[in-house]
Amino acid sequence: MLQCLIQGILLGGLYAIIGIGMSMVFGIMGLTNLAHGDLMILGTYITMLLVSSYHVPILLAVLIAIIVMAVIGFLMQNFLVNRVLDKGAEPALLVTFGISIFLSNLILKIFSADYQSIPNSLASTNVVSTSSVSVSGIYLFSFVVGLVVIVVLSYVMQKTNFGRSIRATSNDTMAAELMGVNTKRAYSYAMILAMVTAAIAGALVGSTFTFNPASGTSYLIIAFGVVVIGGMGSLSGTLLGGVVLGVSQLLGGYFFGTGVQMLIAYIVLLVILAVRPNGLLASGARK
Amino acid sequence: MKQLTKRSPLGIVIAIAILVVLCVIPMFGSNYALSILALIFIYMTMGQMWNLMGGYAGLLSLGMQAFIGIGGYCLAVFSVNYGVNIYLAILMGGIFSVLFGLAVSPALFKMTGVYFAIGSWVVAEALLIAFSNWKFVRYAQGIGISTVYQLSNTQIYYTALALGVIAVLVVLCLMRSKTGLALMAIRDSTGAAEAMGVPIYKTKIKCYMIACFFMGLAGGVMYMVQGYIVPSAGFSIQWTVAMTFMVIIGGSGTMEGPIIGAVLYVLLTQYLYNFPGWSMIILGAVAVVVILIAPRGVMGTLHEKTGFEVLSPRRSLH
Repeated sequence: MLQCLIQGILLGGLYAIIGIGMSMVFGIMGLTNLAHGDLMILGTYITMLLVSSYHVPILLAVLIAIIVMAVIGFLMQNFLVNRVLDKGAEPALLVTFGISIFLSNLILKIFSADYQSIPNSLASTNVVSTSSVSVSGIYLFSFVVGLVVIVVLSYVMQKTNFGRSIRATSNDTMAAELMGVNTKRAYSYAMILAMVTAAIAGALVGSTFTFNPASGTSYLIIAFGVVVIGGMGSLSGTLLGGVVLGVSQLLGGYFFGTGVQMLIAYIVLLVILAVRPNGLLASGARK
Repeated sequence: MKQLTKRSPLGIVIAIAILVVLCVIPMFGSNYALSILALIFIYMTMGQMWNLMGGYAGLLSLGMQAFIGIGGYCLAVFSVNYGVNIYLAILMGGIFSVLFGLAVSPALFKMTGVYFAIGSWVVAEALLIAFSNWKFVRYAQGIGISTVYQLSNTQIYYTALALGVIAVLVVLCLMRSKTGLALMAIRDSTGAAEAMGVPIYKTKIKCYMIACFFMGLAGGVMYMVQGYIVPSAGFSIQWTVAMTFMVIIGGSGTMEGPIIGAVLYVLLTQYLYNFPGWSMIILGAVAVVVILIAPRGVMGTLHEKTGFEVLSPRRSLH
């Protein structure tokens, strides 16, 4: 069971990176991007395509995927999302839902429904191997990357002017504009950052698990779960959220069987949503 | 505030005429036309109910597929395993949907807005996993609903027709009742409604229960058409995709919207069968474009430009 706990915590790191993009977009734009899971999987497929078909070394492939995703995010933000942000919560939600359906089926059309994976050496190495616990290399790597991403993002948001302009825009759009911040551009930057993290997350997910075009939905729920448990807009909260989900999932699988492990995670998520909808770290005030 | 649309005698005559036509179609319609119409009526029911929750009550749910699956499985299990009459099994599908809906409502109704939307989606996904791992319903293998194989196209058509007409009538009567007023008040401004004494929770629950019931019925009738049910299809998000597409294109918050949306959806998907794999891509793209250009849908934009309306009680802040 210790194995499950440790693996769950490490898995939490990966889940945190998956959720961080969604948390940022929600915290800054107030938009719940239902296409986040599918966008991440798009990143996964891009990386896989580069590695498998074009034999690009994996780190370079991830870099290219990051750039492609950043461009896609920018285009999506400028031409689709910005237009719908002032129409209310419902249209924005439905637009991202439409994008999600469009994307997942496009990927299905191009790549077929087969399960794929990104071949890498870390997945098969066990970093720690004692009699009671063995830690897979890729899980540990994902966790470390997750921590690094969160720390770097926190630094950027708190200490740089770039980050400050984004935070200002989310706090009070009008005041920010009065101070000379180009708010539409700030939104684009936020989306680009979110897409970069999604690309990184996608590469990690693809290296750790098998995936297919429909995986976007499951990862969307995980991303949402991570964000909700940790509290929307809280960067460190996503790490907590990821760990809670990861541990629930693996412990659930340990006690009830791997077929229902996601079910256990979903039930935990629903309970937390019902009891503390603003997240575990929130002060409890309901919006 | 606009006046309630007066129900003119001409309107009622037209409605009855349409109904009569629909009833006698089986005499000269081809089997294919009958099955298309049946699909339209089933989807129309789903659209009406999704619109009731999302367009009128402001409860945007992405998890209604849960009840389609429950309805379908009730039909399958009760009629195949226990030899229950098909229509009774479908009815039980509706009842079980309400029961399940009520069971999750304490948790679900604590959430609002996007939390409610995704929370309902998670509930549906949870059901999907649960059914895939349940021996009683044959895991992910699914159940072949043998009891419906000998039904004729005409029987299926009339069942779907009855379902569609009843669903529209129920929503029509509901929206003209006190509950309907309450719903629109809640949608427009929950705080003000509460201050005026509108029982918010009770109204939402009433609306939700009606939607769950008819969604369950629709699921049963849909699987009467399809004949085989597996968890990944019964609880698939595709149902919600269809519902949102219908309501977005047709016009949310109107009653004719889901009707038009259902017609468009069925015809579009039938046409796109010629191009396998493209239907969802195109649907997604069309939905996004429509929201950006004409967020009120066909009926909404029509009403904006020409003031044309047929069934909807127009009382909104838009």
